[in-house]
Amino acid sequence: MIWGENKLKESLLYVDDITVMREEKEVLKDVSIKVLPGEITGILGRNGAGKSSLAYAVMGLPNYKPKKGAMYFRGQDITNWGITERARAGITLAWQHPARYEGISVAEYLKISSRKEIDVRKMEEALNLVQLESSYLSRKVDKSLSGGERKRIELASVYLMNSQLTILDEPDSGVDLLAMADIISLFRKMTENGRSVLIITHREDVASQCDRSYLMCSGEIVLEGTAEAVRRYFLSQCIPCPEHKDETGETQE
Amino acid sequence: MKVVEEYSQLLEIASRTGGGASALGDKDTVYMVVHANKIIGKNILPGVEIDAVETAEGIDAVITVTKGTIIEKPVHMCFGHLGHEGKQVIKSKMVIEDGARAEFLAHCIFPNAVEFLHAMEGEIQIGENASFAYREVHVHGREGKIKVRPKSKVVVGGNSSYIGDFTLVEGRVGDLDIEIEVEARGAHSHVDIRSKIYGKYDDICKIKDVILLNGEGSSALVKARVVLKDESKGSFLGLVDGAAAGARGHVDCTEVVQGRAVAEASPVVRASHPEAEVTHEAAIGRIADEKIEGLMAKGLSEEEAIEVIVSGLLR
Repeated sequence: MIWGENKLKESLLYVDDITVMREEKEVLKDVSIKVLPGEITGILGRNGAGKSSLAYAVMGLPNYKPKKGAMYFRGQDITNWGITERARAGITLAWQHPARYEGISVAEYLKISSRKEIDVRKMEEALNLVQLESSYLSRKVDKSLSGGERKRIELASVYLMNSQLTILDEPDSGVDLLAMADIISLFRKMTENGRSVLIITHREDVASQCDRSYLMCSGEIVLEGTAEAVRRYFLSQCIPCPEHKDETGETQE
Repeated sequence: MKVVEEYSQLLEIASRTGGGASALGDKDTVYMVVHANKIIGKNILPGVEIDAVETAEGIDAVITVTKGTIIEKPVHMCFGHLGHEGKQVIKSKMVIEDGARAEFLAHCIFPNAVEFLHAMEGEIQIGENASFAYREVHVHGREGKIKVRPKSKVVVGGNSSYIGDFTLVEGRVGDLDIEIEVEARGAHSHVDIRSKIYGKYDDICKIKDVILLNGEGSSALVKARVVLKDESKGSFLGLVDGAAAGARGHVDCTEVVQGRAVAEASPVVRASHPEAEVTHEAAIGRIADEKIEGLMAKGLSEEEAIEVIVSGLLR
């Protein structure tokens, strides 16, 4: 298939027609996306659209193994690779709700991310990017941190990983004190030297900052295009969509 | 083995257990080193009295921190045995007089023990406006099933605090049955009991912490972190009884189970005074997938991720 081969060659990540089942339900249906080198790609959609499921499938979580289809990273078929193999190959994920680790300091957590010796200055620089002071290095990554603080540390952590592909699952949630300009600047830094970012978001203003976007609904990709085109379609068709109104008749957030 | 060799070996192992154990042997540090039933090293400074006698199976000691004495550097107690089998029974009475402040680090070192009993029977009396911390770190070998039986009774006076910290994460636990009973007798006294245990193979880990909040406004925190793997078994009983006005207590237990290990937790909270408040939280189970997968997404293998999580939990 010439068309498919071209996509594979030009893409850093190429997800080819995958379907993922969870508890006998198709959470992803025939999904295909590509992420190009040096670009920010957005996956926009309402809650429950299947965006996070796509992130987990790309990261290789065992419960999100495709029933059909394949995934390629830098031209290699990674469909049957585990999480660790994918991470070591250059894929990482900043979780929407990052786990907490009792007894582990922020400095230790950031060192784990880098997988090699890292000096304090670099860790401070990463914290600075998410507007946290260097005093956080001695704090623990446990429940003493607020949700927003934990989220910022996760962003600093994936920044330090320097991965070829960083997946950010709802990166702005819980970090409302960070200005949109600062968030975008951080994402752009993650695309330096040909690295790429895949952003999962339900916010059209975040998606509008991407180089290209996909719109997801009910586990399917319903639109692919420029960020602006996808944003306009989302605002005109998805926000008023009656299928996404709750029992009170209010449109869901 | 010569006494000098025993002494240096015990000190070398103790220095790895942290808490500034390298100060063991310094002239400006209070310490006592016991091998089997022999006192092989001791240093006493003003404000601390140690009256210790060797018995057939161990030692009996009365240790007093005199009124108003503030000991800046931790006092080190090293109880060990380098042999494969035997028995060591330590009986102690510790008196922390009014206004005194001290921290004791007990290094219990049995690197070669296979058939061995290490028993401690302790009585601790803490006066008024005093503070005392007793941290006990064990180092066991990888073989054998040493029996460890620490039992202690503590009474805490008014406006005083007691911190009890028990750590057994290096080597095999063996067969551990620890019992501590603390009475926060004085008004506004505070108790903080922490246990960190890592059971492996067919180790048995039993922890019983009983805190009686009898003083008005007294408070307590009981915290246990137990990791069990292979076929080890563990049980935790943490009882806090709020028996006075304004008494506040909390029991917090986390037991992580791997392999075919079995864990049991009984956080018991009792309020026998209408103005007391005692709460608890307990979690038993395997390490949550999200924690393991979170670290794997950073490039750690599953085994490495579990190791990091367990090491954090047991700090």
